[in-house]
Amino acid sequence: MQAIYDMVARWAEAGHVPAVFQHAFMVRGLLAALIIGPLLGAVGTLVVAKRLVFFTQTVGHGALTGVALGLLIGEPLGSTYAGLYGFCLAVALAMTFLRHRVPASTDAIVGVVLAQILGLGIIAMVLVTRQYNVHQVEAVLFGSLIALTDQDLAVLAGTALVSAVVLAMSFNAFMLATFSPTLARTRGIRPVICEYLFVAMATVVVVASLKLVGALLVLVLIVLPAATARALARGLVGFFWVSVGAATVSTLAGLMLSTWLPIPTGAAIVVAASVLFYLALPLRWLRQV
Amino acid sequence: MTDAAGRPVAVWIRDLGLSLGGVRILDRVSLTVRSRTIHAVVGPNGAGKTSLLRCLAGTMPHTGDIRIRAKGRADIGYVPQSLGLDGALPLTVRDVLNVALHRRPAFLPRRRRPALTALLDRTGAGHLLDRPLAALSGGELRRVLLAQALEPMPTVLLLDEPASNVDTPGMQRFEEILADLRDRHGTTIVLVAHDLAGVARLADWVTAINRAVTYDGPPDRLTDAGVLDRIFGGRQAVQGAV
Repeated sequence: MQAIYDMVARWAEAGHVPAVFQHAFMVRGLLAALIIGPLLGAVGTLVVAKRLVFFTQTVGHGALTGVALGLLIGEPLGSTYAGLYGFCLAVALAMTFLRHRVPASTDAIVGVVLAQILGLGIIAMVLVTRQYNVHQVEAVLFGSLIALTDQDLAVLAGTALVSAVVLAMSFNAFMLATFSPTLARTRGIRPVICEYLFVAMATVVVVASLKLVGALLVLVLIVLPAATARALARGLVGFFWVSVGAATVSTLAGLMLSTWLPIPTGAAIVVAASVLFYLALPLRWLRQV
Repeated sequence: MTDAAGRPVAVWIRDLGLSLGGVRILDRVSLTVRSRTIHAVVGPNGAGKTSLLRCLAGTMPHTGDIRIRAKGRADIGYVPQSLGLDGALPLTVRDVLNVALHRRPAFLPRRRRPALTALLDRTGAGHLLDRPLAALSGGELRRVLLAQALEPMPTVLLLDEPASNVDTPGMQRFEEILADLRDRHGTTIVLVAHDLAGVARLADWVTAINRAVTYDGPPDRLTDAGVLDRIFGGRQAVQGAV
């Protein structure tokens, strides 16, 4: 990785790219943004189609508890992968199990689980802060460009690769199971297995993105680009690619914005994604006239 | 499989039972669907009709025995009552067909496919290929969903409430297509319905259920007061249903 950082730093010194890319953390942030943007934009189309927005937000909020649990089981600060991935996956799969087994609305089940994981998170935080500064643990809520490491980038790249393969192979199955589980079954698809696979994939994508975007704001990159695409697109192909494009542009714009203004990267991404969304709305209204 | 008279049977159900959330939905339901016939399953709201269809499609855990004379799941077509989608999603008829029929991810652009138009033409919906899903009438949506179920041409076709939200001309067109499938392609059709007048016109055989089977016989007896009482449990409900 150092060779890449050195090469980009030389480009920055020569004026080919903005001067901020002399810093390795900016190059890391750029690479992460180029992975996170398209990935969340793509997954977002299915999250919106499946009406799993609140579900995904809850998985993101589980990150705080996951980080605290990771520290409690002895993982080093900044690399609490087992706690983070393990807890968030457990939350996502448990909510899916409850949705199938408990006669209650999805909103109610997700709300109950959200309350429980936040309660558990607070308990875990109290225990953890005997050893660590609470602000070190809270970093997961807001994301941090500077805290991103080469190891995080490698985990993100691996997650993205596996998720992209699963998405490409199963996109139609995920969508058909949303149209009608019974129709999907007669087409040889197991809708319940499909749902577990989708929530597992969406969870690892969300968790892998947290380091840069933050747990509180990761939902923005799932919902806003898909909402922008919904306003502009006329068909599924447009819906998917406009969402991918809007998420990528938002992430890159947010990254650059956070270098010019003293604001966290996640918040800057929200601003960029919101601008695109509000620009898309009048275009939709004009089309409907 | 054959029935007592030696006629070929496409669907054979014995002692089908289903409970959901502690509520008994289906109780010892037995029925036989002869090949190349249109078999209607009727009953009041909440009688278990759609659950029966889902048992046949393999999405409901049940007790009892179901045998379907088909070469596999791909040989069973299914036409849902509606699609569980947010109406604001930008999906066209082409998108639905690409998702349902192909393995190639539907988000990848593809060239125009005459095959999709030809498939929709089977149900008189060829002109709807690029129409947004949200802009379809009930009858048009039903014809699109029927078209997807005909690729590949199934031996057994399951339809869930084909008449709901469909106007009279749309339903007449739909009934003609179903009769043609039975007569020209030998398709066995099992449809769940609440429109008894339509059932009386179209079906070769009718099974009424209300958790258990309440009537099993030809459709021309549906207008008998005694039969209606058995199906709906009171004449008040019947007046509006026929």
